[in-house]
Amino acid sequence: MPAFANQKELVTIMIALWEAIKADPKMSDDLLKSKLCVQFRYRDPEGIITVDCSDGEDMKISSGDSELKPDIEMSMRGDVAHDFWTGRLGAPAALLTGKIVSRGPTPKALALLPVIKPAFAIYTKVYDDFQKAPVV
Amino acid sequence: MKHSVDEISGQHQLEKLNNCALSFNFYSPTRLIFGDEASLQAAGELNDLGARKTLLVTDKTLAQTEVFKAIFSSFADNGYASPIVFDSVPPESNLLCVHEGLRLAKKFGCDSIMSVGGGSVLDTAKAIDICLSLDGDILEFQGINNLPGKLKPMLAIPTTAGTGSEVSMVALIKDEAGEKLLYASKYLAPDIAVLDPGLIVSLPPRLTAGTGFDAITHAIEAFTAKYNQSPLVKFYCLEALKLLFENLPIAYRQGENKDARALCLLASCMAGIAFTNTGVGVVHALAHTIGAKHCTHHGMTNAVILPYGMEFNLPEAASQYAEMARYLKIGSPDLDELALAQALIKKIRDLMVEVNLPKSLKELGISDLDKGSIEDLGFHALTDPAIMFNIKDVAQEDLCSIIKRTC
Repeated sequence: MPAFANQKELVTIMIALWEAIKADPKMSDDLLKSKLCVQFRYRDPEGIITVDCSDGEDMKISSGDSELKPDIEMSMRGDVAHDFWTGRLGAPAALLTGKIVSRGPTPKALALLPVIKPAFAIYTKVYDDFQKAPVV
Repeated sequence: MKHSVDEISGQHQLEKLNNCALSFNFYSPTRLIFGDEASLQAAGELNDLGARKTLLVTDKTLAQTEVFKAIFSSFADNGYASPIVFDSVPPESNLLCVHEGLRLAKKFGCDSIMSVGGGSVLDTAKAIDICLSLDGDILEFQGINNLPGKLKPMLAIPTTAGTGSEVSMVALIKDEAGEKLLYASKYLAPDIAVLDPGLIVSLPPRLTAGTGFDAITHAIEAFTAKYNQSPLVKFYCLEALKLLFENLPIAYRQGENKDARALCLLASCMAGIAFTNTGVGVVHALAHTIGAKHCTHHGMTNAVILPYGMEFNLPEAASQYAEMARYLKIGSPDLDELALAQALIKKIRDLMVEVNLPKSLKELGISDLDKGSIEDLGFHALTDPAIMFNIKDVAQEDLCSIIKRTC
């Protein structure tokens, strides 16, 4: 069974995750220091999330097509993203086996992996909460 | 029935190999052509791939050698169009050089790329092929798995036994600011690698030792890397190490010994196939960073750091080091894991002495590292992609501590 039933589910969960990361002073400070704009492009289901730290002051999170030209684009299937955030698939392994495509100065983004480590636990909670939420 | 120590050790190896994850992903798309004077077959091999006009990438020194001239002539001798020679590759390739090579390739309508040289030449050829095949700005294709499809035919002939670039899916090119741009894709592995031991017999002893230790580091770091391990990776690493431990000292002392050269070349290629599947680790991360800052030789820098990097990884990698030691018959087989691992590290230090490699950054020519410089190196090494494949998690303090020990 796929991790995300549809685009709305994927985008809602990913936005909630990044909003939680933004609310964490340690993680957001470290990400802002990078001044990177990173775009995640998902397929199955399709979805685009852009996390823009380029001004070093405010982390801007958006979904859908964006006017911004990201420094780095990471493309993957929704299931791969889910496996990454649940800790079942490391980014290095996903890159080695072609499950993630990255465009741009990838090492700069990979250097941020230790920074977002606490977000793994957040993701599991966000994901589970969404699954438990009553269907409207 | 009593078993000899060798038999027991062999059985142990098989058990260890059987214990590898049985689900794995192994990729090795490059066809290998190996043998004395094999480089003279390159023109025909390229023609079989559909090449009609080839850009031949090399450096100025190599372009003057008789072996290079023979490779060049072999095109016309066999009835193929003579290649267009681009010989302006510097020791560390950069964007300017890639653009220059691309201009030449376009001007003469080249439809294929051949490289003869060390890692920098081979990486430049890969980058030129990206631009020639995909007709775009080289910066657009920076990244991992970011090439949309197959490139024009590419054939690589290494003239050192160390980088493994002839089979790797990676190219590193410096930008104008001196920062290394990373290109990694399955489409970057050359279609054919021609391994001709005759081309490396004239490699000076110091470079023989340095490049040989690059290959040793590839094999050790690939064997212990955290991801994508497989019985094939392990086999390539173990055999590469066996060949290098036996033949590098001979190739160092007797450069003309073609058998020793051939086996070092083969071992380097095997280690290249291994690390292209698993990545490397902390030693390479530090060597890339120190090399970029202080212009040191990559293989020699790896050699200096290798024993210290292994000692750092020891708590996580003792069983893998012991496995290597048993295969290489280093230390008594009845030693425990830790003692065998330490015996392997000692063997590496002994080998460095045997081939007169520097044993510290100071001996490598770096003697002015203050606290701030060490912290800066540690910070930059932490952003090197090699670090993420290391068996043990690494923090900036760990990197600084390794650098301090290598001073």
